[in-house]
Amino acid sequence: MNEFEFLRNITIGQYLPTGSYLHRMDPRAKITAAVLVVAAMTFTPTYLGNACLLVTCLVIIALGRIPFGYALGGLVPAIPFVAVLAVLQLLFFGRALDPTSPVLFQWGWIVVTVAVVRLVMVSAARFVELVLVTSVFTLSTRTTELTHAIEDLLRPIERLLRPVWRVRLAHELALVVTIAIRFVPTLFLEAERLMKAQASRGGRWGGRGWRLVARTRQMLPLLVPLFTFALRRGEELIVAMEARAYTGGAGRITYAVLPGTAADWLAPVAALLFLGVMLRTPFPF
Amino acid sequence: MTEPLIVCDSIEFSYQAPSQEAIRVLRGVSLSVSPGEHVAIIGPNGSGKSTLARHLNALLRPQAGVVRVQGMDTRDPAHTRAIRETVGMVFQRPDSQIVATIVEEDVAFGPENLGLSREELRDRVREALETVGMWAARARPPHLLSAGQQQRVAIAGVLAMRPACVVLDEATSLLDPQGRAEIGRVVAEMRRRGTAIVSITHRMSEAAAADRIIVLDAGTVRIEGTPREVFARADLLHEIGLDLPPVTSLALRLRRQIPGFPAGLLTIDELVEAVSSRAGPPATGPRRPGEASPPIPPAERAFTDDAVIRVEDLWHTYMSGTPFAQVALRGVTLDVRPGEIVGIIGQTGSGKSTLIQYMNGLLRPLKGRVVVGDVDLGRRDVDVQMIRQMVGVAFQDPEDQIFEPLVGDDVAYGPRQLGLSLEELRARVRWAMEAVGLSFDGFKDRYAFTLSGGELRKAALAGVLALRPRVLVLDEPTSGLDPGSRADLRERIRDLQAREGLTLVLVSHDMDEVARLSDRVSVLDEGRVVTSGAARAVFADTPRLAALGLAPPEATLACQRLRSRGYPVPPDVLTIEEAGDILGALLRQAS
Repeated sequence: MNEFEFLRNITIGQYLPTGSYLHRMDPRAKITAAVLVVAAMTFTPTYLGNACLLVTCLVIIALGRIPFGYALGGLVPAIPFVAVLAVLQLLFFGRALDPTSPVLFQWGWIVVTVAVVRLVMVSAARFVELVLVTSVFTLSTRTTELTHAIEDLLRPIERLLRPVWRVRLAHELALVVTIAIRFVPTLFLEAERLMKAQASRGGRWGGRGWRLVARTRQMLPLLVPLFTFALRRGEELIVAMEARAYTGGAGRITYAVLPGTAADWLAPVAALLFLGVMLRTPFPF
Repeated sequence: MTEPLIVCDSIEFSYQAPSQEAIRVLRGVSLSVSPGEHVAIIGPNGSGKSTLARHLNALLRPQAGVVRVQGMDTRDPAHTRAIRETVGMVFQRPDSQIVATIVEEDVAFGPENLGLSREELRDRVREALETVGMWAARARPPHLLSAGQQQRVAIAGVLAMRPACVVLDEATSLLDPQGRAEIGRVVAEMRRRGTAIVSITHRMSEAAAADRIIVLDAGTVRIEGTPREVFARADLLHEIGLDLPPVTSLALRLRRQIPGFPAGLLTIDELVEAVSSRAGPPATGPRRPGEASPPIPPAERAFTDDAVIRVEDLWHTYMSGTPFAQVALRGVTLDVRPGEIVGIIGQTGSGKSTLIQYMNGLLRPLKGRVVVGDVDLGRRDVDVQMIRQMVGVAFQDPEDQIFEPLVGDDVAYGPRQLGLSLEELRARVRWAMEAVGLSFDGFKDRYAFTLSGGELRKAALAGVLALRPRVLVLDEPTSGLDPGSRADLRERIRDLQAREGLTLVLVSHDMDEVARLSDRVSVLDEGRVVTSGAARAVFADTPRLAALGLAPPEATLACQRLRSRGYPVPPDVLTIEEAGDILGALLRQAS
């Protein structure tokens, strides 16, 4: 019975320090590996292939020493999306997907073929796999590591674009992302504080029912102060940054040094091999 | 004499609000800061303190007059960077100065801009974090630190640039007593290392620790001198809405009764010495510690039948069922009786804010019981609206939650939800505004942003009162206000309680405030009520309070020190006024 606690069931975006192999890995290697694993998920249309991928997900969760219950709990908010997606696919694909596929069921204009069933199952599996992998990724990667890794990986592109745009793309993008992430909990807490203050003054937050119009109208008194809050914080931050002699990237050196040992790059190599195997294996069904 | 570090020569500055005449904030301010010196700047809200501070490191530039930092004119943009390296600045809100998501990287943010070598950068970050005592927490995310720790990180971020001077712009005003004490220690450490400090503060006892105090009022320097000189001018300070440190104020009371009693005393030690040397040796010898500060009687367990709010063995866990779970309440039991003022004290993180959210049903009990009036909040069919109307809660800094542009509209938010007629609505708003001392006709059509800090706080309180609650819960009602507005608001609260028969729950870090207002006090520590009882009995156990990280009122401490020396002084003195009478009588008897 807690109407105002937002952050409880969201596993994406949290960091859970368990000190596992995944936590210690160089974030650049981890990003590369994650991208390759996601690619494998995207390009595997078979039942057996997805079964392999689900098992892989469990292995990855175990590697990150994330409690299984907690990682799977992150799937709960995703269930409605998966369900809606499945219903839409069942209703509207019909014969259009693969006209040669045998028909399993027909009722009026609703046609369900073997290919559609496969699509539904595989889409649901993919969704689950993606949520699990991204959860493990964020649970094992600090936001600073993430932004530094992005900055580092973007540096070659920056060098290419330098003559055209004359901005320090990698640095500025990384700073923007860092500050945005840094203020997410602050904004959430402020929204929670405002809702509680307004509820205390008789505003009808929470309670039962889905009165959509009433709820939307109530957003207004929440959004106005939240907006001024964000602007005020932004202004204060600018002044504080200026006071600390920030003049926009030029001549800066970075404090953080990414760990990067050669062993870390085994992970993306393994992921690449995995991707190759998944693409080339002729799964029977 | 050494060359001054910062010189301000008759600087002027005005803000130009759109379609209004310019507001002259600084009207010819001259001052200087020497290397290694600690200068405090005090003044009421709106006196221009923060504007002045921002001139010291070229965040603002004077419209007339000159500011020089180590001889560099702040108006010359070529010097800006060098000036900001020389004069660092720490602001009021800890969490809007922090840029990075890891402590050490945030500290590195400033020096990263200076083009140092990587080794030099590492050394500086380490030295800065060690100075503020946060090296052990270097890898933690700042948003999980307490406000006091965050503020120490912000100071480290400035120190890592090796400035000659650090400006603290109300850096302690949002902190609890422990956080303030932490910053006090950091300031002492910085001074030991030779850094000059300019601190802007509302706390007179903080200003008393400086070498020199500058009193700003309406954009001009009114008084300047050592703390002793400045605090000797009590009448002038009162006139501009400032206060004396509690000890100084007590000494002044004694001076009025006993001719020749020294004025301008700043510490409890000085006061105790001054009183003992005039009262002669005590009749009895020194007392044992237990006699000087009697231990708090055990917490009362029995409920009265007519309690308005009853909390029984209440537990609360945040993020329960996840690896981030955190227990905030561990079996809290307390009651609030009609017409009384209950004070709730405890360190940050002791569970105070969680507890008050149960009082109006924002949180609903899963483990334990909360009964408001005769409604058990654990039941599923509770009419929460009715509970929230009965128990009004004003959270900390309520003025941040004002969302209507006009004051009157904002106060009307609550009653409007009740579906009252226009007549009734108007009457409610009028009553609520007058109750906190804002005239309905004068303020209902004012824009909220044109109100002073104290007025805005009152308007926010009126918004809660407009629901006509039977119980009013106030979280830090006077924090961040200047001494004048603080005293005024306290008076209003007392008045309201007496006139309307309102029941009050007061949550505060200001022990003096709780001591002055409360009938009963409950002390929370790590989610438990560790003691509760009459305010006088609770505050008399000063060693226990100190062990719980709470600062007992200075009047109580001074009287207990005299009592332990053997003087016939009661151990449970609460206020300066009371202490003045008792010590005055003691001294008159001696002479």
